[in-house]
Amino acid sequence: MTGGAVPADDVTLAGLHRSGRLAASYPRVPGLLADLPDDELTRAGHLLARLDPDEVLRHHPSTPVLTVAVTGHSTLGPLVPPLTAELARHGMLARPRLSDFDGYVFDLGDPGSALYAAGPDLVLCVLDPDIVFDEVPVPWTVADVERTLDAKVALVRGLAAACHRRTDATLVLNTLPLPRRFTAQLVDHRSRARLGAAWRAANARLLTLGEEFPSVVTLDLDPLLAEGIAAEDPRLGRYAGMGLSPALLARYAREIGHLARHLTGRGKKALVCDLDGTLWGGVLGDDGPDGVEVGEGPRGAAFTAFQKVVRQLGSQGVLLAVVSKNDPGPVDEALREHPRMTLRPADLVRVAASWRPKPDGIAELARDLNLGADSFVFVDDSAYECGLVRHALPEVTVVRLDEEPALHVDRLLRDGWFDTRELNAEDRARPARYREELGRQSFLDSFDSIADYLSELGVWVRLAPVTEAEIPRAAQLTLRTNQFHTAVRRLQPAQVSALAAGPGTRVLGISSGDRFGDNGMVGLIVTRAEGGVLRIDNFVLSCRVFSRGIETACLAAVLADARATGAGAVEAVYRPGPRNAGVRDLYPDHGFVPAGEEDGALLFRHDLADVAAPPPHIRFVESLEETH
Amino acid sequence: MTTIDDFLLLVRDEIGLTVGPEHAELPLDQVPGWDSMHLLSLLSALERTTGRPVSLPDVLEARNLHQIHEVVTRA
Repeated sequence: MTGGAVPADDVTLAGLHRSGRLAASYPRVPGLLADLPDDELTRAGHLLARLDPDEVLRHHPSTPVLTVAVTGHSTLGPLVPPLTAELARHGMLARPRLSDFDGYVFDLGDPGSALYAAGPDLVLCVLDPDIVFDEVPVPWTVADVERTLDAKVALVRGLAAACHRRTDATLVLNTLPLPRRFTAQLVDHRSRARLGAAWRAANARLLTLGEEFPSVVTLDLDPLLAEGIAAEDPRLGRYAGMGLSPALLARYAREIGHLARHLTGRGKKALVCDLDGTLWGGVLGDDGPDGVEVGEGPRGAAFTAFQKVVRQLGSQGVLLAVVSKNDPGPVDEALREHPRMTLRPADLVRVAASWRPKPDGIAELARDLNLGADSFVFVDDSAYECGLVRHALPEVTVVRLDEEPALHVDRLLRDGWFDTRELNAEDRARPARYREELGRQSFLDSFDSIADYLSELGVWVRLAPVTEAEIPRAAQLTLRTNQFHTAVRRLQPAQVSALAAGPGTRVLGISSGDRFGDNGMVGLIVTRAEGGVLRIDNFVLSCRVFSRGIETACLAAVLADARATGAGAVEAVYRPGPRNAGVRDLYPDHGFVPAGEEDGALLFRHDLADVAAPPPHIRFVESLEETH
Repeated sequence: MTTIDDFLLLVRDEIGLTVGPEHAELPLDQVPGWDSMHLLSLLSALERTTGRPVSLPDVLEARNLHQIHEVVTRA
């Protein structure tokens, strides 16, 4: 035996675990988990669940960590390994806190419970069908089940309200599967149908709780069950009190991983697609723009189905781009003129067709869009291209397709890379705004100096306290923005509302636009008045509007307003985060002087003696003097 | 899955516990890192490896790793 096929200890998760270097190597874990099949991911979760999060944080202090409280009606211990693995896949750390069996009513209903005391970021309240059937009499009728369903939905609603009042945590509920072992106990079809209808009505009420309580997310388990996952394991249910099967809990954990990714501000923003074999069949260079396989024939229809899904994602704010090894002319012709094409140039923020390596095209697009490579998902049918991108740009998520186009849709959607809690008008308009942004950049190339450019650009800014309607967008800015984010303080909508309501605190929304269009709400400033000093607790600005002096104009307005309303000084905070080093000198660059440190954050102070005017190229359409 | 060593290897690989022959007779709650949930994960791994059903109630009644191994080999 040569031993050549045996992986060295430092290239597998088990090897790192054995050699005691798993914590030190934590940034490599997402790469090691990326391609694992589901059962191996859960096995990896057993190893990862044994890691002490604090040890990982000692080695890698900026690792995002989430305290996840797990509660419910049944045995949920087997959820912990897959949950740990799913968060690790996204480079995050889980601090799981598992409640006692059937503890959910006490955990969520008692404001003094240990669950709340743990200060969770996420609360998973896992519901199963036995919360109902444990309480119906024997023998039972559909009316008994209806009564119990009503009582349980009312109970869960009350618990959601209590959780919403008590914490800022996101509470995850789920719909109840309806196993056949219950429906088949009824011998007549009429009763079965009534049971099914009552059950769905209860699930529908659970699904609407998210609209009533902004911090609630209800996961619909039906689509997961429709993938062919068993809802229950009879033996584990009977002997070990597991209400949901381990496979369903693992699939549930995958959804939670993407939610956690979103909550920590690390959602994906762009989808980059290959062309030949991915968006259409055949080889453009050989078959010509008219000859590629799309729209017609069984395979062509499969590619069209995939294009429709890509376009659907684009309609919800995902930035779509093409990076393809082809000559640009035929690519343009195919996208523009092929009669059966679903995706058109107007759907794409960029079409990069060249013979350069694909990682170059992706990196260039990331730079031009001012996004990190970790915001990108790349999809390609070629193992070579996928491997190359993974090697050159490990932060990019690679979705590998194969030669069977009928599987493309499931492969792309298997993971909720673009999952977000709520969409708003800003999200839907995002691709158009980014296209405008790329237009601005080519416009920039035609000017000799940046000052000429800015004065031609006609930038306007509106700085005003956020309105009720703007609160979701304000929260989203804190969740999505990583670079220009002085205190890296992620806020949920309810927290923004509380700050906006005061007293003493304000949330100022920044909207902007220019000759190319309306940028919408692009930033916010959170302030707090305290003892004659105005404190800037956080300043967030979307990367789309960097380098235009908008931050300078807004700071000038805040300073002038502080002076006009009698503040003695303005203080501001910079808290180092993984990607916000670019704004470390924001305050010193604007006349603030260092004023020490506080809990790892740098403090700055402006004495208001000399407040600079906003840059001349910026026009305020509304500012703070109108708000008093 | 014939010997206790094969079984201990499976425990190591499946749930990441570093167990050896010295742990086989220890009460489970004295096995370093042991958690009762591990039994549930082990069950499916054991059935996959042996290709035979294993009695969960019997596994749940086992007091040490050696007894779990006995349940499995008896099956």
